[in-house]
Amino acid sequence: MKTLIQLEIARTLRNKKFMFFSVLYPAALYLLVAAGAKDTGKVGDTGLTFPVIYMVSMATFGAITSVLIGNAERIAKEREKGWVRQLRLTALPGRGYVTAKVASAAVVSLPSIVVVFLVAATAKGVRLDAWQWASLVAVIWAGSCVFAALGVAIGYLATGDAVRPIVMVVYFGLSILGGLWMPTAAFPEWLRRIAEYVPTHAYAGLGQAIERGDAPGAKDAAVLVLYLVLFAGAAAWLYRRDTHKN
Amino acid sequence: MPGMTSVMDFRRRPTLPGRGRVRDDGSMTITTTAFTGDGRRTGSAPVVSFANVSKTFGTVRAVADLDLRLHPGETVALLGPNGAGKSTTLDLLLGLSRPDAGTVELFGTSPQQAVQDGKVGAMLQSGGLMEEVKVRELVRLACDLHPRAYPVDQVMEAAGITGIADRLVNKLSGGQEQRVRFALATAGENELIVLDEPTTGMDVTARQTFWGTMRRQAEAGRAILFATHYLEEADAIADRVVVLHRGRILADGSAAEIKARAGARRIVFDLDGEIPAEALRGLPHLTSVEVSGRTVRLQSRDADATVHALYGLGLYPRNLEVAGLGLEQAFIAITDAAAAEDAR
Repeated sequence: MKTLIQLEIARTLRNKKFMFFSVLYPAALYLLVAAGAKDTGKVGDTGLTFPVIYMVSMATFGAITSVLIGNAERIAKEREKGWVRQLRLTALPGRGYVTAKVASAAVVSLPSIVVVFLVAATAKGVRLDAWQWASLVAVIWAGSCVFAALGVAIGYLATGDAVRPIVMVVYFGLSILGGLWMPTAAFPEWLRRIAEYVPTHAYAGLGQAIERGDAPGAKDAAVLVLYLVLFAGAAAWLYRRDTHKN
Repeated sequence: MPGMTSVMDFRRRPTLPGRGRVRDDGSMTITTTAFTGDGRRTGSAPVVSFANVSKTFGTVRAVADLDLRLHPGETVALLGPNGAGKSTTLDLLLGLSRPDAGTVELFGTSPQQAVQDGKVGAMLQSGGLMEEVKVRELVRLACDLHPRAYPVDQVMEAAGITGIADRLVNKLSGGQEQRVRFALATAGENELIVLDEPTTGMDVTARQTFWGTMRRQAEAGRAILFATHYLEEADAIADRVVVLHRGRILADGSAAEIKARAGARRIVFDLDGEIPAEALRGLPHLTSVEVSGRTVRLQSRDADATVHALYGLGLYPRNLEVAGLGLEQAFIAITDAAAAEDAR
């Protein structure tokens, strides 16, 4: 199993095109979105400035992008090529496969988060305490595993041509509903209540708490852990059950 | 009796070591590891057991009421035209799909369990390879995942891929890919090896090397099941041939038995002097008689009896040759007959 994790990481790093876009795209998007924002303007009742809010939003958004879409598409392709069939004829347990895929996704999401932070600090002058930087990186990185597992599960549910539209719908749905693009404060009451239990909302919530200087919310952490178990479990089950032939 | 057929089968290629040994008195003993009938006689759990297995895709019955047992040490060829249900059978056997009815067991447990226990090595036609990794890395992965793995170098050597160890998997030729698949299937000590069209894309030398390796596996007591389009491979390699047609088993026996079932053996000889055509036509079990010049060509359902009667006529046949029909001809005869029956 250790070899599989090593290999998955190695081949992800070798895929230069994928790495390049996954790592740079969130930072580029951050510059675009935060370009017009006033550095001193506070957002709603959060007491935070736009560049700070967007920094965490884009880091989370970027992390989700690379792990969710990356995993789902690569796995759907691997299934088509029959590699997963071959792998299922080994003694590898389902959780081993999911762990390796999540680990290789984490290799991509870490630099993408760090690059967004570097850009925010240098180009937009974002200043935070050392512990805030460190825990932001840790929390956003760890949280990305939830979406990596979701990506594995989707890679198993959808095949070939269907995977892209499906993963896009899930991705945009989760991003908007979770308030990554606009604060959920703008949502109507009923939608805001639903949004609280959307994984992306909990994910962003963890980061925002740290930005404000608070400890991450226990409820957000619990929601994320629950989703991680759910997604990883589904992914492992789908891996073992998969009967796709092509 | 199944044991007897394998004895005959082995005599056909007595040079194979470890299979059978001819005693001074001419009788034969069979080493236990490679004895077809062994599992049956001792009642040990069969390697593979299909009991009334059916699998339907839409309206097509890919496999219908399949009953099949494989025993330790057997090398079994699965033959059948395209769409006969070979791939479906292998998928069911490996737990890659589940039967609609009936049960499939490997070593007395579920296929999934047997696979997880590392008892099965499989090389699938549809089995892709991980891309963007080197050959050696992939073999190392297979060894790492196998509970009773061989050393990586040994696996690569046996599969003949030591020379391409540092090549990227997605840059290999078809034949090289096949050999990598083979390495993955034999990364550790398996008790059953399943091969789907294993030599497709290999050249003649690679094919020979491949079957040489497989033979050593069989001699070590592994059961081998392979599907193939090359009937000469089935003829040369398999102790037992299972012919599938439309999801049903049409024939199951040694290659010799399958050929016998298709009928005729060929008897060719020359005769000096006048050819007694009438007397020749009166020989028993004949299906055809052909005389051209001094050469006589007969086809017989029981060549032994025909030749015996031939000498009984007081004739002295020269350059006598008795040969079976090829497995290919036998296979075509059997499947054609079944297709004709289906059409009725």
